[in-house]
Amino acid sequence: MMIDWWTLGIQTVNVVILIWLLGHFFWRPVAAMIEQRRAETQQILTEAEAKRGQAAAALAGIEQTRAGFAREREAILAAARQAAEETRTERLDEAAREAASLEAAAKVAIEKQKDAAEKAWAERASRLAVEIAKRLAARLDGSAVQAAFLEWLLEEIQALPDPVRLTVAANGVELEAICATPIEPANQARYRELIGKAFGARPEITFKVDPTLIAGLELHGPHLVVSNSWRADLSKILAELTHDKRSWRDGGRVA
Amino acid sequence: MKSPLGGVALFHLGPVPISAGVVTTWAIMAALVIGGILITRRLSLVPSRAQAGFELIVDTLDSQIRATMQMEPAPYRAFIGTLFVFIFVANWSALIPGVEPPTARLETDAALAFLVFLAVIWFGIRAGGIAGYLATFASPNLIMIPLNFVESLTRTFSLFVRLFGNVMSGVFVIGIVLSLAGLLVPIPLMALDLLTGAVQAYIFAVLAMVFIAGAIRETQSGPDPSSRGTPL
Repeated sequence: MMIDWWTLGIQTVNVVILIWLLGHFFWRPVAAMIEQRRAETQQILTEAEAKRGQAAAALAGIEQTRAGFAREREAILAAARQAAEETRTERLDEAAREAASLEAAAKVAIEKQKDAAEKAWAERASRLAVEIAKRLAARLDGSAVQAAFLEWLLEEIQALPDPVRLTVAANGVELEAICATPIEPANQARYRELIGKAFGARPEITFKVDPTLIAGLELHGPHLVVSNSWRADLSKILAELTHDKRSWRDGGRVA
Repeated sequence: MKSPLGGVALFHLGPVPISAGVVTTWAIMAALVIGGILITRRLSLVPSRAQAGFELIVDTLDSQIRATMQMEPAPYRAFIGTLFVFIFVANWSALIPGVEPPTARLETDAALAFLVFLAVIWFGIRAGGIAGYLATFASPNLIMIPLNFVESLTRTFSLFVRLFGNVMSGVFVIGIVLSLAGLLVPIPLMALDLLTGAVQAYIFAVLAMVFIAGAIRETQSGPDPSSRGTPL
């Protein structure tokens, strides 16, 4: 067995060339690709780890935010409940005050209506009574009634204070004697004499007829009014019944 | 009768005889280089099945280098990997009818062993310099210089003789059985020859790693009694 040195040399060169070619075209690129993938994988793992950390932090933040939401929700609900309670209490108080005001106003209105009704009924009753009295008193007109009214007139005059009596009916002062029915001339002279005597002077008295007096004898002068008739009495009674002070004042004996 | 171990020149390039083993080697080189170019032409981060398979081969080789040499595989990947792949493909080229594996020729195996011998010297000098590498021959003392030198030669000799003997014997046995028995009888022996070829490629590559790693380690950290001696 002989070694062919040429072949040995050629094969040595061949293997060296093959080592270089495969190293250049196969081993190095594939190893570089493996290393690149390993680096990429490591980078992806690092990024994934970082993202996982970020996600965990974000999750913690979300949990914290959600907890904050829950607390805020509870606070809002509590505030809303308190506000609703305050509003309800306020509304109830306001409604109670309004109801009390309405009740008081209604009571006042009812009282007013009641008073007005009572007053109206009392007025109607008084007018009815006065009307009845007028009709009854009209039947009593006669000489006796006339004499009675004359007597009352003289008493009224004599009841006046002396200075007043002498002032309002001095001599020559014109006075009107008003009757419900005409007075006989003979009676007129007697009436003048009695009235002048009551005044203690001699005023000028003229007689007039006013049927609205129903019955009676009134004396009117510049500073004197003696209301002495059924009409004046009935007006006075009506004023007293209806508490009408103006009516009473109109029916007064001395103006 | 002509010796079956003798080579036959297919043609001559000037004074250089070109044997069938050399032509087969060229064919294997062309196939491997073209295949490597085609494989690495479309590499991507999302690998195809073929790319994943080749990346698995490279990754397994790196793992073997780390496990055997206890070093980073990058400086040794191309040398060790190419030795393994070439021997593996050369051994398995016997499957092609009419093709004799280049590793069945003494010159090819001697060339491979010679390259391992040179690689041990190269990596040893690169690790500790020429003086450092030469100093390893005087370990543990100067008396060991001749023995260490002889050892470096004999282990290289044993390296190529082992490969040559195993591959050549397989080829011979298959040829003899094929000439005596029929067509199907040699098939189990051929399967056994494939297994032998793969194992021999692995052994050759592992021994190359051990020799290189031993030289580097002795250069860097002094003599290591456990690494002395020729394996197998």
